[in-house]
Amino acid sequence: MKYKLLKIMFLVWVVLWIWFVVRDLFLKDNIDSYRVLLTRSLEGKRSYVTGDRLYEFLKFTAGKLPKEVFYNFIGLTPDSIENRRAVYYLYPLIEKEKPDYILVYDRPGFEEEGYALAAKMDESRYILKRKKGVSSWN
Amino acid sequence: MELANLFLSVLFFTFVGANILYLMLPGWRGLACLEGIAISFGLGVGCVTLEMLSFHMLNLRFNIRDIALPWVILIAVNAILFFRKKKRMELLKLETKKFNLLEVVLSLGILFEVSYAFFRALIKSIEAYDAVAIYAIKSKIFFLARGIPHDFFTGLANNFPHPDYPLNIPLAETFMYLFMGNLNDQLVKIIFPVYFVCILIVLYFAVRRFASRTYALIFTFILATIPQFNAYAANAYLDLPFAFYAFTSALFLFWWLVDRKNAPFLIVSAVMAGLAGWTKNEGLMYCAAYIMLAVIFFIFNIRKISRKDLACLFLYIVIIAAILTPWLYIKSASHLVNTDVGKVDSKVLSIWKEAYKLKPIFYEFQKQLFGPKKWNILWIALILSIIFNIKGAFRGIGKYIAISLALVVGGYVFIYMASPIDVTFFVKKTWSRFLLHFLPIVIYWLALILKEDIKI
Repeated sequence: MKYKLLKIMFLVWVVLWIWFVVRDLFLKDNIDSYRVLLTRSLEGKRSYVTGDRLYEFLKFTAGKLPKEVFYNFIGLTPDSIENRRAVYYLYPLIEKEKPDYILVYDRPGFEEEGYALAAKMDESRYILKRKKGVSSWN
Repeated sequence: MELANLFLSVLFFTFVGANILYLMLPGWRGLACLEGIAISFGLGVGCVTLEMLSFHMLNLRFNIRDIALPWVILIAVNAILFFRKKKRMELLKLETKKFNLLEVVLSLGILFEVSYAFFRALIKSIEAYDAVAIYAIKSKIFFLARGIPHDFFTGLANNFPHPDYPLNIPLAETFMYLFMGNLNDQLVKIIFPVYFVCILIVLYFAVRRFASRTYALIFTFILATIPQFNAYAANAYLDLPFAFYAFTSALFLFWWLVDRKNAPFLIVSAVMAGLAGWTKNEGLMYCAAYIMLAVIFFIFNIRKISRKDLACLFLYIVIIAAILTPWLYIKSASHLVNTDVGKVDSKVLSIWKEAYKLKPIFYEFQKQLFGPKKWNILWIALILSIIFNIKGAFRGIGKYIAISLALVVGGYVFIYMASPIDVTFFVKKTWSRFLLHFLPIVIYWLALILKEDIKI
Protein backbone atom coordinates (compact mmCIF):
# COMPACT_ATOMS: atom_id res chain seq x y z
CA MET A 1 0.00 0.00 0.00
CA LYS A 2 2.68 2.47 1.07
CA TYR A 3 4.82 1.48 -1.88
CA LYS A 4 1.94 2.02 -4.33
CA LEU A 5 1.14 5.39 -2.79
CA LEU A 6 4.77 6.46 -2.99
CA LYS A 7 5.04 5.28 -6.59
CA ILE A 8 1.95 7.17 -7.75
CA MET A 9 2.87 10.34 -5.89
CA PHE A 10 6.41 10.21 -7.18
CA LEU A 11 5.31 9.85 -10.80
CA VAL A 12 2.92 12.81 -10.52
CA TRP A 13 5.70 14.73 -8.78
CA VAL A 14 8.21 14.15 -11.60
CA VAL A 15 5.73 15.15 -14.32
CA LEU A 16 4.92 18.41 -12.49
CA TRP A 17 8.60 19.03 -11.80
CA ILE A 18 9.47 18.81 -15.50
CA TRP A 19 6.65 21.25 -16.25
CA PHE A 20 7.93 23.68 -13.57
CA VAL A 21 11.47 23.56 -14.92
CA VAL A 22 10.27 24.24 -18.49
CA ARG A 23 8.02 27.04 -17.27
CA ASP A 24 10.79 28.63 -15.20
CA LEU A 25 13.35 28.54 -17.99
CA PHE A 26 11.32 29.29 -21.08
CA LEU A 27 7.85 30.64 -20.30
CA LYS A 28 8.98 33.22 -17.77
CA ASP A 29 11.53 34.72 -20.20
CA ASN A 30 14.30 33.92 -17.74
CA ILE A 31 16.63 32.81 -20.52
CA ASP A 32 16.57 36.33 -22.05
CA SER A 33 17.43 37.89 -18.73
CA TYR A 34 20.20 35.33 -18.07
CA ARG A 35 21.68 36.06 -21.51
CA VAL A 36 21.84 39.79 -20.71
CA LEU A 37 23.26 39.23 -17.22
CA LEU A 38 25.97 36.85 -18.42
CA THR A 39 27.45 39.58 -20.59
CA ARG A 40 27.51 42.25 -17.88
CA SER A 41 30.12 43.22 -15.27
CA LEU A 42 29.20 43.52 -11.57
CA GLU A 43 28.31 47.20 -12.08
CA GLY A 44 26.32 46.23 -15.14
CA LYS A 45 24.41 43.60 -13.20
CA ARG A 46 23.61 46.10 -10.44
CA SER A 47 22.40 48.49 -13.09
CA TYR A 48 20.28 45.78 -14.72
CA VAL A 49 18.50 44.71 -11.53
CA THR A 50 17.95 48.31 -10.38
CA GLY A 51 16.91 49.59 -13.78
CA ASP A 52 19.58 51.22 -15.96
CA ARG A 53 17.99 54.66 -15.86
CA LEU A 54 17.65 54.81 -12.08
CA TYR A 55 21.10 53.30 -11.48
CA GLU A 56 22.65 55.89 -13.80
CA PHE A 57 21.07 58.63 -11.68
CA LEU A 58 22.27 57.00 -8.45
CA LYS A 59 25.85 56.91 -9.73
CA PHE A 60 25.52 60.54 -10.80
CA THR A 61 24.19 61.45 -7.33
CA ALA A 62 26.91 59.53 -5.48
CA GLY A 63 29.52 61.45 -7.49
CA LYS A 64 28.00 64.85 -6.78
CA LEU A 65 27.01 64.72 -3.11
CA PRO A 66 29.53 65.20 -0.31
CA LYS A 67 29.90 62.45 2.28
CA GLU A 68 27.67 62.29 5.34
CA VAL A 69 24.79 64.41 4.12
CA PHE A 70 21.09 63.64 4.20
CA TYR A 71 18.92 63.33 1.14
CA ASN A 72 15.35 62.56 0.24
CA PHE A 73 13.80 61.28 -2.96
CA ILE A 74 11.07 62.85 -5.00
CA GLY A 75 9.70 60.53 -7.65
CA LEU A 76 10.32 57.19 -5.96
CA THR A 77 7.49 55.71 -3.90
CA PRO A 78 8.62 55.50 -0.25
CA ASP A 79 9.44 51.93 0.79
CA SER A 80 9.11 50.66 -2.78
CA ILE A 81 11.73 48.19 -3.99
CA GLU A 82 13.29 50.95 -6.16
CA ASN A 83 13.52 53.19 -3.09
CA ARG A 84 15.13 50.46 -0.96
CA ARG A 85 17.68 49.66 -3.69
CA ALA A 86 18.49 53.37 -4.06
CA VAL A 87 19.00 53.68 -0.28
CA TYR A 88 21.30 50.64 -0.39
CA TYR A 89 23.45 51.92 -3.24
CA LEU A 90 23.67 55.49 -1.91
CA TYR A 91 24.84 54.52 1.59
CA PRO A 92 26.85 56.07 3.38
CA LEU A 93 24.51 58.87 2.35
CA ILE A 94 21.41 58.64 4.51
CA GLU A 95 17.78 59.18 3.55
CA LYS A 96 15.98 61.60 5.92
CA GLU A 97 12.70 63.45 5.88
CA LYS A 98 14.35 66.88 6.35
CA PRO A 99 17.28 66.55 3.96
CA ASP A 100 20.25 68.61 2.83
CA TYR A 101 19.57 67.48 -0.72
CA ILE A 102 16.47 66.50 -2.64
CA LEU A 103 16.99 63.95 -5.40
CA VAL A 104 14.41 64.48 -8.12
CA TYR A 105 13.80 61.46 -10.29
CA ASP A 106 11.34 61.57 -13.19
CA ARG A 107 9.53 64.64 -11.86
CA PRO A 108 10.35 67.34 -14.42
CA GLY A 109 9.83 70.85 -13.10
CA PHE A 110 9.70 69.88 -9.43
CA GLU A 111 10.71 72.70 -7.09
CA GLU A 112 10.86 73.06 -3.30
CA GLU A 113 10.95 76.28 -1.30
CA GLY A 114 14.33 76.85 0.31
CA TYR A 115 16.14 74.60 -2.17
CA ALA A 116 18.06 75.49 -5.32
CA LEU A 117 19.35 73.45 -8.23
CA ALA A 118 22.71 71.87 -7.37
CA ALA A 119 23.33 69.47 -10.26
CA LYS A 120 21.38 68.38 -13.27
CA MET A 121 21.60 65.14 -15.20
CA ASP A 122 18.71 65.92 -17.54
CA GLU A 123 15.31 67.64 -17.42
CA SER A 124 13.73 65.00 -15.20
CA ARG A 125 16.71 63.89 -13.08
CA TYR A 126 18.42 66.49 -10.94
CA ILE A 127 19.55 67.41 -7.42
CA LEU A 128 18.28 70.30 -5.30
CA LYS A 129 20.39 71.67 -2.44
CA ARG A 130 19.10 73.41 0.68
CA LYS A 131 19.93 77.12 0.53
CA LYS A 132 22.28 78.52 3.16
CA GLY A 133 20.50 79.89 6.18
CA VAL A 134 17.43 77.69 5.64
CA SER A 135 16.96 75.41 8.61
CA SER A 136 16.61 71.69 7.96
CA TRP A 137 13.75 71.71 10.50
CA ASN A 138 11.45 73.92 8.41
CA MET B 1 41.56 36.20 -6.76
CA GLU B 2 38.21 37.39 -5.43
CA LEU B 3 36.67 34.05 -6.28
CA ALA B 4 39.49 32.15 -4.56
CA ASN B 5 39.03 34.27 -1.43
CA LEU B 6 35.30 33.60 -1.56
CA PHE B 7 35.90 29.85 -1.50
CA LEU B 8 38.45 30.31 1.26
CA SER B 9 35.86 32.13 3.38
CA VAL B 10 33.38 29.25 2.89
CA LEU B 11 36.17 26.81 3.81
CA PHE B 12 37.04 28.89 6.87
CA PHE B 13 33.44 28.77 8.14
CA THR B 14 33.33 25.02 7.53
CA PHE B 15 36.69 24.34 9.16
CA VAL B 16 35.80 26.37 12.26
CA GLY B 17 32.43 24.59 12.45
CA ALA B 18 34.11 21.20 12.00
CA ASN B 19 36.35 21.88 14.98
CA ILE B 20 33.48 23.07 17.19
CA LEU B 21 31.50 20.00 16.17
CA TYR B 22 34.53 17.86 17.03
CA LEU B 23 34.45 19.32 20.55
CA MET B 24 30.70 18.88 21.01
CA LEU B 25 30.47 15.48 19.39
CA PRO B 26 33.84 13.80 19.99
CA GLY B 27 35.14 12.25 16.80
CA TRP B 28 31.88 13.31 15.06
CA ARG B 29 30.48 10.14 16.60
CA GLY B 30 27.48 8.82 14.70
CA LEU B 31 27.73 11.26 11.80
CA ALA B 32 28.63 10.50 8.21
CA CYS B 33 31.60 12.51 6.92
CA LEU B 34 29.64 14.58 4.39
CA GLU B 35 26.88 15.12 6.95
CA GLY B 36 29.44 16.43 9.44
CA ILE B 37 30.82 18.83 6.83
CA ALA B 38 27.32 20.12 6.00
CA ILE B 39 26.54 20.72 9.68
CA SER B 40 29.98 22.32 10.17
CA PHE B 41 29.31 25.03 7.59
CA GLY B 42 26.20 26.42 9.33
CA LEU B 43 27.73 25.90 12.75
CA GLY B 44 30.88 27.77 11.68
CA VAL B 45 28.89 30.67 10.23
CA GLY B 46 26.86 31.01 13.43
CA CYS B 47 29.85 30.85 15.78
CA VAL B 48 32.05 33.23 13.77
CA THR B 49 29.25 35.80 13.56
CA LEU B 50 28.58 35.49 17.30
CA GLU B 51 32.27 36.23 17.79
CA MET B 52 31.90 39.28 15.53
CA LEU B 53 29.02 40.47 17.74
CA SER B 54 31.32 40.12 20.74
CA PHE B 55 33.83 42.36 18.91
CA HIS B 56 31.15 45.05 18.95
CA MET B 57 30.61 44.57 22.69
CA LEU B 58 34.37 44.80 23.27
CA ASN B 59 34.69 47.85 21.01
CA LEU B 60 36.95 46.01 18.56
CA ARG B 61 37.10 46.49 14.83
CA PHE B 62 36.82 43.64 12.33
CA ASN B 63 39.83 42.22 10.59
CA ILE B 64 40.42 38.69 9.37
CA ARG B 65 43.46 38.05 11.58
CA ASP B 66 41.71 38.98 14.84
CA ILE B 67 38.55 37.10 13.92
CA ALA B 68 40.54 33.98 13.02
CA LEU B 69 42.83 34.03 16.07
CA PRO B 70 40.55 32.33 18.68
CA TRP B 71 39.68 29.62 16.18
CA VAL B 72 43.34 28.93 15.43
CA ILE B 73 43.78 28.17 19.13
CA LEU B 74 40.78 25.82 19.07
CA ILE B 75 42.07 24.10 15.94
CA ALA B 76 45.51 23.65 17.56
CA VAL B 77 43.93 22.02 20.66
CA ASN B 78 41.84 19.72 18.48
CA ALA B 79 44.89 18.82 16.39
CA ILE B 80 46.79 17.82 19.54
CA LEU B 81 43.86 15.69 20.72
CA PHE B 82 43.46 14.14 17.29
CA PHE B 83 47.12 13.30 16.67
CA ARG B 84 47.58 11.92 20.17
CA LYS B 85 44.60 9.75 19.23
CA LYS B 86 42.67 10.73 22.30
CA LYS B 87 39.70 11.53 20.10
CA ARG B 88 39.51 9.33 17.04
CA MET B 89 36.96 9.92 14.32
CA GLU B 90 33.96 7.65 14.84
CA LEU B 91 32.05 8.22 11.63
CA LEU B 92 28.82 6.57 10.64
CA LYS B 93 29.56 3.91 8.05
CA LEU B 94 26.98 3.18 5.39
CA GLU B 95 27.14 0.36 2.90
CA THR B 96 28.02 1.42 -0.62
CA LYS B 97 27.25 -0.36 -3.86
CA LYS B 98 26.99 0.54 -7.52
CA PHE B 99 24.31 3.09 -8.42
CA ASN B 100 21.19 1.69 -10.12
CA LEU B 101 19.38 3.55 -12.93
CA LEU B 102 16.83 5.24 -10.66
CA GLU B 103 19.61 6.44 -8.36
CA VAL B 104 21.50 7.88 -11.30
CA VAL B 105 18.39 9.71 -12.54
CA LEU B 106 17.60 11.04 -9.04
CA SER B 107 21.20 12.17 -8.53
CA LEU B 108 21.17 13.97 -11.88
CA GLY B 109 17.89 15.68 -10.93
CA ILE B 110 19.38 16.86 -7.63
CA LEU B 111 22.57 17.95 -9.37
CA PHE B 112 20.52 19.97 -11.87
CA GLU B 113 18.58 21.73 -9.11
CA VAL B 114 21.73 22.46 -7.11
CA SER B 115 23.59 23.80 -10.16
CA TYR B 116 20.61 25.92 -11.16
CA ALA B 117 20.36 27.35 -7.63
CA PHE B 118 24.06 28.35 -7.72
CA PHE B 119 23.64 29.79 -11.19
CA ARG B 120 20.60 31.89 -10.25
CA ALA B 121 22.26 33.08 -7.05
CA LEU B 122 25.52 34.09 -8.68
CA ILE B 123 24.30 35.57 -11.92
CA LYS B 124 23.15 38.82 -10.34
CA SER B 125 23.80 41.04 -7.36
CA ILE B 126 21.52 41.13 -4.32
CA GLU B 127 18.23 42.67 -5.43
CA ALA B 128 15.20 41.14 -3.68
CA TYR B 129 13.33 43.42 -1.28
CA ASP B 130 14.19 42.09 2.20
CA ALA B 131 17.63 40.98 1.03
CA VAL B 132 18.54 44.56 0.11
CA ALA B 133 16.47 46.60 2.56
CA ILE B 134 17.12 44.60 5.71
CA TYR B 135 20.22 42.43 5.37
CA ALA B 136 22.56 43.66 2.62
CA ILE B 137 22.40 47.26 3.84
CA LYS B 138 23.58 46.11 7.28
CA SER B 139 26.46 44.07 5.87
CA LYS B 140 27.47 47.06 3.74
CA ILE B 141 27.45 49.34 6.81
CA PHE B 142 29.54 46.84 8.82
CA PHE B 143 32.00 46.31 5.98
CA LEU B 144 32.55 50.02 5.31
CA ALA B 145 32.96 50.70 9.05
CA ARG B 146 35.10 47.56 9.55
CA GLY B 147 32.89 46.76 12.52
CA ILE B 148 29.44 47.38 13.96
CA PRO B 149 29.43 51.18 14.48
CA HIS B 150 29.29 52.12 18.14
CA ASP B 151 25.94 53.90 17.83
CA PHE B 152 24.51 51.49 15.26
CA PHE B 153 21.71 50.00 17.36
CA THR B 154 20.63 53.26 18.95
CA GLY B 155 20.91 55.48 15.88
CA LEU B 156 21.86 54.33 12.41
CA ALA B 157 19.89 51.07 12.43
CA ASN B 158 16.64 52.97 12.83
CA ASN B 159 17.06 54.49 9.36
CA PHE B 160 16.42 51.08 7.83
CA PRO B 161 13.56 48.56 8.12
CA HIS B 162 13.55 46.00 10.93
CA PRO B 163 16.54 47.07 13.03
CA ASP B 164 15.66 44.30 15.49
CA TYR B 165 16.36 41.44 13.08
CA PRO B 166 19.26 39.17 14.16
CA LEU B 167 22.62 39.66 12.49
CA ASN B 168 23.89 36.16 11.76
CA ILE B 169 23.73 36.36 7.97
CA PRO B 170 24.50 40.10 7.60
CA LEU B 171 27.66 39.51 9.65
CA ALA B 172 28.50 36.39 7.62
CA GLU B 173 28.20 38.52 4.47
CA THR B 174 30.44 41.15 6.12
CA PHE B 175 33.02 38.47 6.90
CA MET B 176 33.00 37.32 3.28
CA TYR B 177 33.42 40.90 2.08
CA LEU B 178 36.41 41.23 4.43
CA PHE B 179 37.85 38.01 3.08
CA MET B 180 37.35 39.13 -0.52
CA GLY B 181 38.54 42.66 0.33
CA ASN B 182 35.67 44.03 -1.69
CA LEU B 183 31.94 44.65 -1.39
CA ASN B 184 30.98 42.12 -4.04
CA ASP B 185 27.25 41.68 -3.43
CA GLN B 186 27.03 39.20 -6.28
CA LEU B 187 29.56 36.60 -5.12
CA VAL B 188 28.50 36.86 -1.47
CA LYS B 189 25.19 35.27 -2.45
CA ILE B 190 26.99 31.93 -2.65
CA ILE B 191 26.15 31.52 1.02
CA PHE B 192 22.48 30.81 0.21
CA PRO B 193 22.82 27.88 -2.23
CA VAL B 194 25.48 26.48 0.12
CA TYR B 195 22.86 26.38 2.89
CA PHE B 196 20.49 24.76 0.37
CA VAL B 197 23.02 22.00 -0.33
CA CYS B 198 23.69 21.55 3.40
CA ILE B 199 19.99 21.00 4.10
CA LEU B 200 19.81 18.41 1.31
CA ILE B 201 22.84 16.58 2.70
CA VAL B 202 21.49 16.58 6.26
CA LEU B 203 18.12 15.28 5.03
CA TYR B 204 19.75 12.59 2.88
CA PHE B 205 21.71 11.15 5.80
CA ALA B 206 18.79 11.51 8.19
CA VAL B 207 16.67 9.32 5.89
CA ARG B 208 19.61 7.07 5.08
CA ARG B 209 19.80 6.09 8.74
CA PHE B 210 16.58 4.09 8.44
CA ALA B 211 16.27 3.40 4.72
CA SER B 212 18.10 2.47 1.53
CA ARG B 213 20.14 4.85 -0.60
CA THR B 214 17.42 4.90 -3.30
CA TYR B 215 14.77 5.82 -0.75
CA ALA B 216 16.96 8.59 0.74
CA LEU B 217 17.67 9.95 -2.73
CA ILE B 218 13.94 10.04 -3.57
CA PHE B 219 13.19 12.33 -0.61
CA THR B 220 16.29 14.45 -1.19
CA PHE B 221 15.13 14.84 -4.78
CA ILE B 222 11.63 15.78 -3.59
CA LEU B 223 13.00 18.52 -1.33
CA ALA B 224 15.43 19.81 -3.96
CA THR B 225 12.70 20.10 -6.58
CA ILE B 226 10.11 21.97 -4.53
CA PRO B 227 9.82 25.24 -6.52
CA GLN B 228 9.43 27.49 -3.48
CA PHE B 229 12.35 25.88 -1.65
CA ASN B 230 14.59 26.15 -4.68
CA ALA B 231 13.59 29.76 -5.35
CA TYR B 232 14.69 30.77 -1.86
CA ALA B 233 18.09 29.16 -2.38
CA ALA B 234 19.03 32.04 -4.66
CA ASN B 235 17.25 35.23 -3.58
CA ALA B 236 19.35 36.08 -0.50
CA TYR B 237 16.44 35.81 1.94
CA LEU B 238 17.24 34.16 5.27
CA ASP B 239 14.53 31.52 5.24
CA LEU B 240 16.79 28.69 4.07
CA PRO B 241 19.66 29.42 6.47
CA PHE B 242 17.01 29.55 9.18
CA ALA B 243 15.44 26.28 7.99
CA PHE B 244 18.91 24.68 8.19
CA TYR B 245 19.30 25.53 11.88
CA ALA B 246 15.69 24.67 12.75
CA PHE B 247 15.98 21.33 10.93
CA THR B 248 19.30 20.18 12.37
CA SER B 249 18.23 21.25 15.83
CA ALA B 250 14.99 19.29 15.52
CA LEU B 251 16.69 16.16 14.16
CA PHE B 252 19.27 15.96 16.94
CA LEU B 253 16.57 16.59 19.53
CA PHE B 254 14.38 13.81 18.09
CA TRP B 255 17.35 11.41 18.09
CA TRP B 256 18.16 12.32 21.68
CA LEU B 257 14.55 11.73 22.75
CA VAL B 258 14.86 8.22 21.30
CA ASP B 259 18.33 7.54 22.74
CA ARG B 260 18.91 9.68 25.81
CA LYS B 261 22.36 8.20 26.44
CA ASN B 262 23.59 10.28 23.53
CA ALA B 263 23.89 13.60 25.38
CA PRO B 264 26.21 15.21 22.76
CA PHE B 265 23.28 15.07 20.31
CA LEU B 266 21.28 17.24 22.70
CA ILE B 267 24.15 19.72 22.88
CA VAL B 268 24.26 19.95 19.07
CA SER B 269 20.48 20.45 19.05
CA ALA B 270 20.71 23.24 21.63
CA VAL B 271 23.48 25.06 19.76
CA MET B 272 21.56 24.84 16.48
CA ALA B 273 18.36 26.06 18.16
CA GLY B 274 20.28 29.01 19.59
CA LEU B 275 21.72 29.76 16.16
CA ALA B 276 18.19 29.63 14.69
CA GLY B 277 17.30 32.42 17.12
CA TRP B 278 20.44 34.25 16.01
CA THR B 279 19.34 33.99 12.36
CA LYS B 280 15.69 35.06 12.50
CA ASN B 281 13.34 36.27 15.20
CA GLU B 282 11.14 33.24 14.57
CA GLY B 283 14.01 31.23 16.00
CA LEU B 284 12.95 32.25 19.50
CA MET B 285 9.63 30.56 18.86
CA TYR B 286 11.39 27.42 17.65
CA CYS B 287 13.60 27.41 20.77
CA ALA B 288 10.45 27.63 22.91
CA ALA B 289 8.74 24.89 20.84
CA TYR B 290 11.70 22.51 21.15
CA ILE B 291 11.98 23.11 24.90
CA MET B 292 8.22 22.49 25.21
CA LEU B 293 8.56 19.31 23.16
CA ALA B 294 11.24 18.04 25.55
CA VAL B 295 9.07 18.97 28.55
CA ILE B 296 6.04 17.21 27.03
CA PHE B 297 8.22 14.15 26.43
CA PHE B 298 9.35 14.21 30.06
CA ILE B 299 5.78 14.51 31.32
CA PHE B 300 4.60 11.53 29.25
CA ASN B 301 7.63 9.41 30.15
CA ILE B 302 8.00 10.52 33.74
CA ARG B 303 8.80 7.02 35.02
CA LYS B 304 11.65 6.53 32.56
CA ILE B 305 13.25 9.89 33.29
CA SER B 306 16.47 9.91 35.28
CA ARG B 307 18.17 12.78 37.09
CA LYS B 308 20.72 12.83 34.31
CA ASP B 309 17.93 13.41 31.77
CA LEU B 310 16.65 16.33 33.83
CA ALA B 311 20.17 17.75 33.98
CA CYS B 312 20.37 17.41 30.20
CA LEU B 313 17.12 19.35 29.78
CA PHE B 314 18.49 22.06 32.06
CA LEU B 315 21.71 22.13 30.04
CA TYR B 316 19.64 22.42 26.84
CA ILE B 317 17.95 25.57 28.11
CA VAL B 318 21.22 27.01 29.45
CA ILE B 319 23.03 26.55 26.10
CA ILE B 320 20.21 28.20 24.14
CA ALA B 321 20.10 31.08 26.64
CA ALA B 322 23.89 31.49 26.54
CA ILE B 323 23.89 31.81 22.74
CA LEU B 324 20.98 34.23 22.60
CA THR B 325 21.66 36.41 25.65
CA PRO B 326 24.22 38.81 24.07
CA TRP B 327 21.93 39.58 21.16
CA LEU B 328 18.79 39.83 23.30
CA TYR B 329 20.65 42.11 25.70
CA ILE B 330 21.71 44.44 22.87
CA LYS B 331 18.14 44.46 21.52
CA SER B 332 16.68 45.21 24.90
CA ALA B 333 19.26 47.87 25.81
CA SER B 334 18.78 49.59 22.44
CA HIS B 335 14.94 49.33 22.61
CA LEU B 336 14.78 47.57 19.27
CA VAL B 337 11.19 46.47 18.74
CA ASN B 338 9.74 44.23 16.04
CA THR B 339 7.50 46.34 13.83
CA ASP B 340 5.39 43.37 12.71
CA VAL B 341 4.50 42.08 16.15
CA GLY B 342 5.20 45.18 18.24
CA LYS B 343 5.47 45.25 21.97
CA VAL B 344 3.67 42.47 23.77
CA ASP B 345 0.81 44.11 25.61
CA SER B 346 -2.52 43.25 27.19
CA LYS B 347 -3.93 42.69 23.70
CA VAL B 348 -2.03 39.43 23.52
CA LEU B 349 -3.63 38.29 26.75
CA SER B 350 -7.09 38.72 25.24
CA ILE B 351 -6.13 36.98 22.04
CA TRP B 352 -9.58 35.37 21.75
CA LYS B 353 -10.84 38.79 20.68
CA GLU B 354 -8.68 38.37 17.60
CA ALA B 355 -10.42 35.11 16.67
CA TYR B 356 -11.92 36.76 13.57
CA LYS B 357 -8.41 36.63 12.11
CA LEU B 358 -8.54 32.84 11.95
CA LYS B 359 -10.67 32.93 8.81
CA PRO B 360 -8.13 34.75 6.57
CA ILE B 361 -5.32 32.77 8.20
CA PHE B 362 -6.84 29.39 7.36
CA TYR B 363 -7.92 30.61 3.93
CA GLU B 364 -4.26 31.32 3.11
CA PHE B 365 -3.20 28.02 4.68
CA GLN B 366 -5.49 26.00 2.39
CA LYS B 367 -4.42 28.10 -0.61
CA GLN B 368 -0.82 26.99 -0.05
CA LEU B 369 -1.87 23.41 0.69
CA PHE B 370 -3.67 22.82 -2.58
CA GLY B 371 -1.79 25.14 -4.95
CA PRO B 372 0.91 23.10 -6.76
CA LYS B 373 2.75 26.15 -8.19
CA LYS B 374 5.01 26.53 -5.17
CA TRP B 375 4.90 23.12 -3.52
CA ASN B 376 4.20 20.59 -6.26
CA ILE B 377 1.88 18.02 -4.57
CA LEU B 378 3.78 17.95 -1.28
CA TRP B 379 0.99 18.90 1.11
CA ILE B 380 -1.55 16.69 -0.64
CA ALA B 381 0.97 13.83 -0.49
CA LEU B 382 1.51 14.44 3.21
CA ILE B 383 -2.22 14.49 3.99
CA LEU B 384 -2.84 11.29 1.98
CA SER B 385 0.15 9.57 3.58
CA ILE B 386 -1.11 10.40 7.07
CA ILE B 387 -4.67 9.28 6.24
CA PHE B 388 -3.49 5.95 4.84
CA ASN B 389 -0.93 5.37 7.62
CA ILE B 390 -2.53 7.05 10.58
CA LYS B 391 -0.87 4.76 13.16
CA GLY B 392 2.56 4.78 11.57
CA ALA B 393 2.55 8.56 11.22
CA PHE B 394 2.47 9.05 14.98
CA ARG B 395 4.72 6.17 15.97
CA GLY B 396 8.29 6.58 17.31
CA ILE B 397 9.96 9.78 16.13
CA GLY B 398 6.80 10.54 14.12
CA LYS B 399 4.90 11.62 17.22
CA TYR B 400 7.66 14.04 18.25
CA ILE B 401 7.70 15.49 14.76
CA ALA B 402 3.90 15.90 14.85
CA ILE B 403 4.06 17.65 18.24
CA SER B 404 6.89 19.96 17.17
CA LEU B 405 5.04 20.88 13.96
CA ALA B 406 1.84 21.53 15.89
CA LEU B 407 3.76 23.78 18.28
CA VAL B 408 5.45 25.85 15.58
CA VAL B 409 2.32 26.18 13.42
CA GLY B 410 0.44 27.19 16.58
CA GLY B 411 3.20 29.72 17.22
CA TYR B 412 2.82 31.25 13.76
CA VAL B 413 -0.97 31.46 14.17
CA PHE B 414 -0.42 33.20 17.50
CA ILE B 415 1.95 35.73 15.87
CA TYR B 416 -0.57 36.45 13.12
CA MET B 417 -3.29 37.02 15.70
CA ALA B 418 -1.16 39.17 18.00
CA SER B 419 0.26 41.33 15.20
CA PRO B 420 -1.20 44.81 14.68
CA ILE B 421 -0.66 44.45 10.90
CA ASP B 422 -3.65 43.73 8.66
CA VAL B 423 -3.86 39.96 8.94
CA THR B 424 -4.87 39.28 5.31
CA PHE B 425 -1.86 41.25 4.05
CA PHE B 426 0.50 39.75 6.65
CA VAL B 427 -0.43 36.12 6.13
CA LYS B 428 -0.49 36.48 2.33
CA LYS B 429 3.00 38.02 2.33
CA THR B 430 4.64 35.63 4.77
CA TRP B 431 2.98 32.21 5.10
CA SER B 432 4.55 30.68 1.98
CA ARG B 433 7.95 31.72 3.39
CA PHE B 434 7.22 30.52 6.91
CA LEU B 435 6.35 27.08 5.53
CA LEU B 436 9.95 26.82 4.34
CA HIS B 437 11.17 26.98 7.92
CA PHE B 438 9.81 23.54 8.78
CA LEU B 439 9.67 22.09 5.28
CA PRO B 440 12.74 19.79 5.70
CA ILE B 441 11.18 18.40 8.90
CA VAL B 442 7.98 17.69 6.95
CA ILE B 443 9.90 15.84 4.20
CA TYR B 444 11.72 13.81 6.84
CA TRP B 445 8.37 12.94 8.42
CA LEU B 446 6.94 11.96 5.02
CA ALA B 447 9.92 9.65 4.49
CA LEU B 448 9.28 8.05 7.88
CA ILE B 449 5.56 7.59 7.22
CA LEU B 450 6.00 5.97 3.81
CA LYS B 451 8.77 3.62 4.88
CA GLU B 452 7.56 0.03 5.00
CA ASP B 453 9.89 -1.21 7.70
CA ILE B 454 11.04 1.56 10.01
CA LYS B 455 14.09 0.61 12.06
CA ILE B 456 14.08 3.61 14.44
